Amino acid sequence: MEQTYFHAIDLINDKCKGCMHCVRTCPTEALRIRNGRVHLDDKRCVDCGKCIAVCPFGAIVASSDPLSIRNDYKFKVAIITAPYAGQFTEDIEYSTTIKSLYHLGFDRVIEESMATNIMTKMKRHYIANNKDKKPILSSNCPAVIRLIQVRFPSLLPNIFHVEAPMSVLSMYYREKYSAIEGLDPSEIGVFVAVPCIAQVAAVHQPQGAYKRNLDGAIAIRDVYNAVRNDLADIRNLDYDFITHENGLSRALSGQEADEVGNDQIRTIAVSGIENVIDILQKVEDHILDQYDYIVLRSCTSGCVGGILNVENPFIARSRIQALIRASKHHDHELDPMFSSYLNGEFDVLPLEPRSIMQLDTDMKQAIIKMKKLNEIKEQLPSIDCGACGAPNCQALAEDIVQGKACIDDCVILLKKNKNKKSD
Amino acid sequence: MAVYCNISEDAQQKYEHFTKEKPDPEMSIEYKVGHKDFVNSGKASSEIKLMLKRLGVNPEILRKVAVASYEAEINVTAHSLGGDIICDIYLDCVHIKFIDNGPGIKNLEKALEPGWSTADDLVREMGFGAGLGLPNIKKNADVMHIESAENQSTILQIIIFY
Repeated sequence: MEQTYFHAIDLINDKCKGCMHCVRTCPTEALRIRNGRVHLDDKRCVDCGKCIAVCPFGAIVASSDPLSIRNDYKFKVAIITAPYAGQFTEDIEYSTTIKSLYHLGFDRVIEESMATNIMTKMKRHYIANNKDKKPILSSNCPAVIRLIQVRFPSLLPNIFHVEAPMSVLSMYYREKYSAIEGLDPSEIGVFVAVPCIAQVAAVHQPQGAYKRNLDGAIAIRDVYNAVRNDLADIRNLDYDFITHENGLSRALSGQEADEVGNDQIRTIAVSGIENVIDILQKVEDHILDQYDYIVLRSCTSGCVGGILNVENPFIARSRIQALIRASKHHDHELDPMFSSYLNGEFDVLPLEPRSIMQLDTDMKQAIIKMKKLNEIKEQLPSIDCGACGAPNCQALAEDIVQGKACIDDCVILLKKNKNKKSD
Repeated sequence: MAVYCNISEDAQQKYEHFTKEKPDPEMSIEYKVGHKDFVNSGKASSEIKLMLKRLGVNPEILRKVAVASYEAEINVTAHSLGGDIICDIYLDCVHIKFIDNGPGIKNLEKALEPGWSTADDLVREMGFGAGLGLPNIKKNADVMHIESAENQSTILQIIIFY
């Protein structure tokens, strides 16, 4: 049976005008316009969310779990990813935005930033012990993981093969609270407030994980809205907790590379999916072998650039940097968990390739297809007008070879041939 | 005319078979390499790798092709007056020829020693010229064949079996 892929993207057919904005933007050429409407190739899509950002008609929308999903569970735990901290104006204290979540009915609020320290330690250990696989590629961004699966499967062994911090946090706190509260682990709902649809997809269909650790992915913008509506009531409420601003660096691609890097570990920080693709090509060509760790983020500036955020990524970045500068370091109860990592408790399965690169599984057929592809390309006008519904002439040629389109889809050729006939 | 040929142990049989059968290539693609054009150098080898990837060649072989052809392309850029790359694709191997426009290798034996380099200042400034080019190609290619003489073209051929 063909594997199905979960995507956090909804196509609203009635709203699509077939304008090609999304088709041209998609970094994996997963979108086509057919019969005036947008179509998504499930296998190619990596949930980067770029199509959602460029659609002028609201025909491509992000899907995430509603805030109300928490009501299905007896004990509700919210994990807040780092970009959340950059969404609020500076007159609202970070601790207030966390406090609001308790007021919204969550029984515990866990900051993803709590795990930054221990993750940095794990990464350094992993890098030192996997010199044969260098450069190690960061695994935080699910869109990048999927991009590597579809376009750079040869680099799968280079990925930092350890559970994502939100999964580590979920495992730890689900066990802890089920013991404290005397509840079955299934009665505890663990939700994560996410900045992007790739994280939504990762929660619903994690790659390489042994089991699903999280019960829902709620958009940061939905949490933001609820919190903003609630602020007036909660300023004076008393809750006892400490915040972990110093770990918020996770939201910023450059900052993470700086934290992991040292005299022994050379790092590069890359953000923006086009830049990521360029760097992965260079890694594949083995011209970046001198680097130890490469932090890759699909969104500009890192997770603050995610489509489910509210604030402009550069403003959010500046706010988070201010919070980090003003923060104090706290040792965290997670820090001793390094031994769990060493015991392999956070290991993930090797990631499966889902290559879109191979023209055919049989080399002979692949060669025939490539020759045919080159012939068709010769015929096509090479102006990449997009009127056929494919992003460029190369993609149309490929669609034709794979039996998904025909040469008459090219309106330029069609017109040329028609003129010839009438001459 | 000096000639050097190295055939890796594992590839002996395959190579014998290949020279006996003399099959026609399934596909043949040509690239130009400009004299000291460091801006574009590496593009041909990147394209060759991408094409083989599209044909389903496995990652370990792709790695060998990428490293060997990149080194060879840089050699043409850095040490010659420019030249051509001809990539012939077969069902079981890829055969890449690097034919430059001179000036030839003075001492081929020396050129094959790791660390030996005749690179000029510009080349070194670009971060190349460590003298590891040819040894690295030898390490990654199943068959490596060079013929060269002073003031003549150098022809480097590599074959990598899938």
